[in-house]
Amino acid sequence: MTLEKKHISAAIILIAAAVISIITGRQFLAKHYPETFYPSPGLTRTGKLSDYFSGLQGTENDSRVYFFEGEEEGSTVLLLGGTHPNEAASGLVAVLVLENVEVTVGRLIVIPRANRSGFTVNDPMEAHPQYYSIPTPNGERRFKYGSRLTSPLDQWPDPLVYSHRPSGQRLSGFETRNLNRAYPGRPDGSLTEKTAYGIVQLIKKENVNVAFDLHEAAPEIPIINAIVYHEKAEEVALNAIFELEMEGISVSPELSPSNFHGLSHREWGDYTDVYPFLMETSNPIQGRLRGETSAELIVEGVSPEYRMALESGALQIAYKETGEPIERRVARHVTCFRRVIEAYNQLGNKPVILENLPEYEDILQNGVGAYIVAGK
Amino acid sequence: MDYQLIILIAMLAMFVLGVIKLKLPAGVSLMLAGVVGALVGGEGLPLRHLVEGAFGFFEPILIIAVGMIFMELLKSRGVLASISVGSLKAFHRFPTLLIIALAVFVMFPGTMTGLATMSILTTGALALPLLIAMGMPKLSAGSLVVMLSVCGEVAPPICVPAMIIGGGVDMPYIGLAKPLFLASFPIAIILSLVYRFKYLGRVDLDEITRKLEFGEEKLQSRLDFIPLVFVIVYMVGETMLHGYFIHLGIPLIFAIGILMIVGISIFTGGGVSIFKVSGAGMKKAMPVMAILAGVGIFLEILTLTGVRGYLTVNALFLPDALKYSIAMMMPFLGSAYGSASIIGVPLLYVFIGKNELVVTSGLVLMASLGDLMPPPSLLCSYAAQMLKEKNHFKILRRSLWPIIFALIFGLLILIFATQIANIIL
Repeated sequence: MTLEKKHISAAIILIAAAVISIITGRQFLAKHYPETFYPSPGLTRTGKLSDYFSGLQGTENDSRVYFFEGEEEGSTVLLLGGTHPNEAASGLVAVLVLENVEVTVGRLIVIPRANRSGFTVNDPMEAHPQYYSIPTPNGERRFKYGSRLTSPLDQWPDPLVYSHRPSGQRLSGFETRNLNRAYPGRPDGSLTEKTAYGIVQLIKKENVNVAFDLHEAAPEIPIINAIVYHEKAEEVALNAIFELEMEGISVSPELSPSNFHGLSHREWGDYTDVYPFLMETSNPIQGRLRGETSAELIVEGVSPEYRMALESGALQIAYKETGEPIERRVARHVTCFRRVIEAYNQLGNKPVILENLPEYEDILQNGVGAYIVAGK
Repeated sequence: MDYQLIILIAMLAMFVLGVIKLKLPAGVSLMLAGVVGALVGGEGLPLRHLVEGAFGFFEPILIIAVGMIFMELLKSRGVLASISVGSLKAFHRFPTLLIIALAVFVMFPGTMTGLATMSILTTGALALPLLIAMGMPKLSAGSLVVMLSVCGEVAPPICVPAMIIGGGVDMPYIGLAKPLFLASFPIAIILSLVYRFKYLGRVDLDEITRKLEFGEEKLQSRLDFIPLVFVIVYMVGETMLHGYFIHLGIPLIFAIGILMIVGISIFTGGGVSIFKVSGAGMKKAMPVMAILAGVGIFLEILTLTGVRGYLTVNALFLPDALKYSIAMMMPFLGSAYGSASIIGVPLLYVFIGKNELVVTSGLVLMASLGDLMPPPSLLCSYAAQMLKEKNHFKILRRSLWPIIFALIFGLLILIFATQIANIIL
């Protein structure tokens, strides 16, 4: 049998496809290895989300739960990072708190990777980097940068239309993989709904009093540099925001809309006794106006295109001329988190006292790397 | 010259060179344009990004593959011709009513799924032979069906591009039914009537029936309708009555439909050559699938190199009149969903101050026309394959004035969004 030209072309294409598959396959596979965290000495125990909902056992989203328990009894606080793995400051703040905090009164529960599945992939056509690095005094520490959504390898295919349960609210199909559209979750639902259900069960079983869901958003999104709160937590939120304004940290108060379902600040408040708070900072790499997409953009937050957009005056944009560096975004989250807890304590509730967390100016001056352990 | 502009020019030049000079398929040319863009942009050969981009439209690619095989099998069993003849017998005395009923019929799967592809591949494929048999020129029939498919995508209750824009600005999918109705049904009805009075005269039932009942596509068994009914009912049911239907996803629904056809053919006789028909279906679908993979790569590199942001930001500096012009550019992204996401979301902010629900409906109409436009020309490619027309651009050319009409309609919705909202909301 003689080889025709088309057979030779086909063979070349197949070999090229195989080589590309092997090279890129290794890169994609590498994102499935778990990240290592280095909890502070204040850690008292760890658990997993499957301790609260066994349906998560053996899934990518059986995330680790870290407990920091004070010697004195008090209220319980939950801190959630990595709901959306493309919102870097969210996961990074959870790690910073995890690796520094000392609790003297009450309890702090930290889930640094709420949607672990989303950390294993990136969104096609967004050209996001797979990792970003934070410089520390002892070398760089690398973190995964992921997708806003649960990986399609763990939950697929999407419906054309996502109908949130139990409200019946309709959203575009891909939102079915958005953890912050899945609350209160369902035990027999998708992986994302099961994850949401597990988190709500944790809030109930651990009698969590105050819960935080950390986020970032594109600079052109209207709700940014904001604290979104459920109506029952309004007093705590407004007191905290007043304190923050006094310190020169401008934060927009946003009342959770009662008709927008599936979000933590709405459903945690409606389905549990917790006071829920969702916090947003401005992250240019998430925006549609950004220029070159790179790991530096995550860390330095400098995008000339956003500066141009700001100067155009055509949009309301949360972007400073010097950019939105990770230090400022992390510092905002940490400080807002602290002030809300302090406001909660001041309103006569059983207190929670957290120590050894850096102040706003400390993080700006020393960098985030000064407060996390160098990678090994 | 800005370096992003140089990258864009290099990418476009590579695409044109590939298609015109090197005679490469459009999909391959788009992929090469992506590679050139990455090289010019100083990104080297970013294999991971190229692969990731190619998966940007993975689900539509799967839908196209199995959907095309499903439709080929239905055709080979005579189902499509049979339905066309049946509709004609029912409505032949009232051609105006017939064409309006056909319009709603073609739009139906799109309205229920938010995907124009569903309209063209199912009811669109049924309507095409009927329109042609009634005397409409082949290209005009293709043009009407692709426009109706677009209208189906825009129409409520399910409009995915509107959901995409809403998702980008945290706007729930509430209160959009009337604005979306306004942006879809009037266009569908007006276009149908224009085509009817331009191309169709008296309907001669016997002559048309003779034209439609051609030998090899004669209905094999009435049971052959079951897979088609199953696919339509399940797709609509999964979207509208999610509590009662196990979520399978469109590719699997089509795949089950394929198995049902094969099973029925074994049971009733008449046979079906699954490998031959699948091969023919895949051969038709392959260029479209390659284009979608190419578009994904192209967009990934535009984003990686900053060209996407550059284009969007520069649009902000335009005077008001030119902002509307940018909205008019939405179809030229070549994908309804891509356009809704990339241009639709920032544009909703640009038009802040007008009623956001009505603005969204106007933007959705303009974005959805993207499914007709190159580089993929998805709907035109489907219609061309069904019509056995090699050059799908002929259908696009014939659709030019309906596209301009729809664009102007969308533009008027944008300009008068506040006034429209006062009337309909």
